[in-house]
Amino acid sequence: MFEGLGLLAGGIAHFLTPVSLFNIAWATLLGIVIGALPGLTATMGVALLVTLTYKMPPDQAILCLMCLYSGAIYGGSRTAILLAIPGTPASAATTLDGHPLALQGKAGLAMGLATTSSTLGTIVGIVALALIAPLLAEAALKFGSYEFFWLALFGVVISGQLTAMDDPLKGYIAGIVGLLVAMVGMETLHAYQRFTFGISALGGGVDLIPAMVGAFGLAEILGVMKRTVHARIVSSADRVVPRLGEVVKYWRTTLRSGIIGTFVGIVPGVGEDVGAWASYAAAKRSSKEADQFGKGSQEGLIAAETGNSAVVPGAMIPTLTLALPGSAAAAVLIAAMFIHGIRPGPLLMVENPQFLYQIVAILLFSTLAILVFGLSLTRPLLTVLAVPRERLMAVVYVLCVVGSFAITQRMFDVYVMLTFGMVGFILREMKYPMAPLVLGIILGDLLDLNLRRGLLLTNGDPTPFFTRPISAVICLIIVSTILMSIPAVSKRVRALFTRDRAGGSPA
Amino acid sequence: MSQETGGADAALPQPGDDRAAGAMVRADLVAAIVFIVLGAAILYASWTMPRLEVRRIHPMTVPGLVPGLLSFALVVCGGILAWRSVRAPAPGGWQSLREAVLSREAVRALVVAALALVYTLGLVGTLPFWAATAVFVFAFVLVFEVWLAEPRKSWRTSLPWAMGLAVVTAAAVTLVFERAFLVRLP
Repeated sequence: MFEGLGLLAGGIAHFLTPVSLFNIAWATLLGIVIGALPGLTATMGVALLVTLTYKMPPDQAILCLMCLYSGAIYGGSRTAILLAIPGTPASAATTLDGHPLALQGKAGLAMGLATTSSTLGTIVGIVALALIAPLLAEAALKFGSYEFFWLALFGVVISGQLTAMDDPLKGYIAGIVGLLVAMVGMETLHAYQRFTFGISALGGGVDLIPAMVGAFGLAEILGVMKRTVHARIVSSADRVVPRLGEVVKYWRTTLRSGIIGTFVGIVPGVGEDVGAWASYAAAKRSSKEADQFGKGSQEGLIAAETGNSAVVPGAMIPTLTLALPGSAAAAVLIAAMFIHGIRPGPLLMVENPQFLYQIVAILLFSTLAILVFGLSLTRPLLTVLAVPRERLMAVVYVLCVVGSFAITQRMFDVYVMLTFGMVGFILREMKYPMAPLVLGIILGDLLDLNLRRGLLLTNGDPTPFFTRPISAVICLIIVSTILMSIPAVSKRVRALFTRDRAGGSPA
Repeated sequence: MSQETGGADAALPQPGDDRAAGAMVRADLVAAIVFIVLGAAILYASWTMPRLEVRRIHPMTVPGLVPGLLSFALVVCGGILAWRSVRAPAPGGWQSLREAVLSREAVRALVVAALALVYTLGLVGTLPFWAATAVFVFAFVLVFEVWLAEPRKSWRTSLPWAMGLAVVTAAAVTLVFERAFLVRLP
């Protein structure tokens, strides 16, 4: 425990240099701007920034990427409140109460509360990260091939289930397609090249960064440019800095939303949008003023913003300890860590324990920066919202091309970006979620290697996959998740429970 | 089965929702067929993939094992999607799908895609990167502000913006990446 505090102090001290503070400031501000601009998402921002931080030292590069990530998740709230358009999917729930508040002439209050809630949510998540991650990493040291196979499968299944709320089947399909994409190229057990069709560039497989730039960059550009509607910015005249009373009035909601957000973050591949919706729904269910939700409830706004911000540190828990990305943007972070020679996974706490606490320190710094920028830069951020998308998107596409080219310097990656952008756009239009697809690409290798390595160790006998305790538990969760997503099954199970309750016998 | 999905947690009904839902049901069928064909092709490729018997590897660890399992899962999911889509009532579904594909929105997306393709596959590589970028940004702004905008802007107001942005973007991207970050550009 005290060792942890010492490492945390070390992490904070590590970044108390002028260069680091400068990086924190610009990266967080850039993140807020990217988040505020509709059509630019956190994932896309992180994926594009990987290129720019390529030549930096590893700690500074990760610092910039993390600050941009949390800044962007916060920045989306600005647009949600003033334009009724979520700046990133994470702020969709913020729109419900933030915009009505703005229409009532309380735009300043809404922006202020969104800022303080984001900060508090991040802090709840940071505490959880510092406490849970070391324990999880220690437990994960006992994991073998069998467990990692199930974990990879679990990540894709749960992400497919939860990111496509109304239609898990499409989530599963997206996940399977992602896993199949990961099958392209050299496999690691026997060094056989699969599905390369004689194209040498395919031998190394499909890189995650260009694929992400396509699926979250080009696809987003296509989606934004498709629409012709223009939104009107609501003007704000009231004070932005909220009173202490307004912030602490709903402390229960803040704490609950922070915990829900963190938990959603831990679940692999389930991101900020789900965190916001889940805590919004929970707040509405337990609120005394539930009828105010959707009409400008401060509690609803607090719940949504706390929930989405707490996901960021929460997502870092499986990302760092299991190399299982907790959100789509975390998947890019994993790719970036590999580029910079940092290997996330159970061994991280053994090889490089200070790194976890550096991440904690980074999140602390970035949330402070968000608090300062969010409460002070109201006017400049308004001008950002007025940038016409016709001009913005042209520049963003140029950055997509450069971003996917620059890392390995080959045109092949640009073609990968194009393909993923076009196919990703069509899939999105048909309501297939992108998160499981991305998770599939990053977890495909893990799944393939660990399944076959496990089978090799047992000479082809699959029983350990089902009999080892942790394996059995994860396997059961996967099976029940899939079964519950079949409407006929879930209806019968629910009927079973309600009948029990009606009959008075405990289940 | 599919009737259940729209139950308790359905979003607010809006005019046009029925048509969009009908189009989606038919789009699902098309997508399902694509997934089934894709899955079957990968399944065949995985089955016929070399089993490396010469190297005496264990038959349960052949390279085609996981792609085979995954493609089988894809075929199954595609099958369920197709079955669900065929059973769901979608009056006028094909008609609304055709309208959606030919709508103004789709045209706008297609124009973006076409501009992106011409820029990436045609201009980059034949022209210097800065020139290709300038042409792309210029064309993009003009097309969407003058030709496809609602209401249209007059080309007199857009032209200076388009030219200015093209020059600034081309110069900034080239300078920032080649000079500051020492990245070679395509």
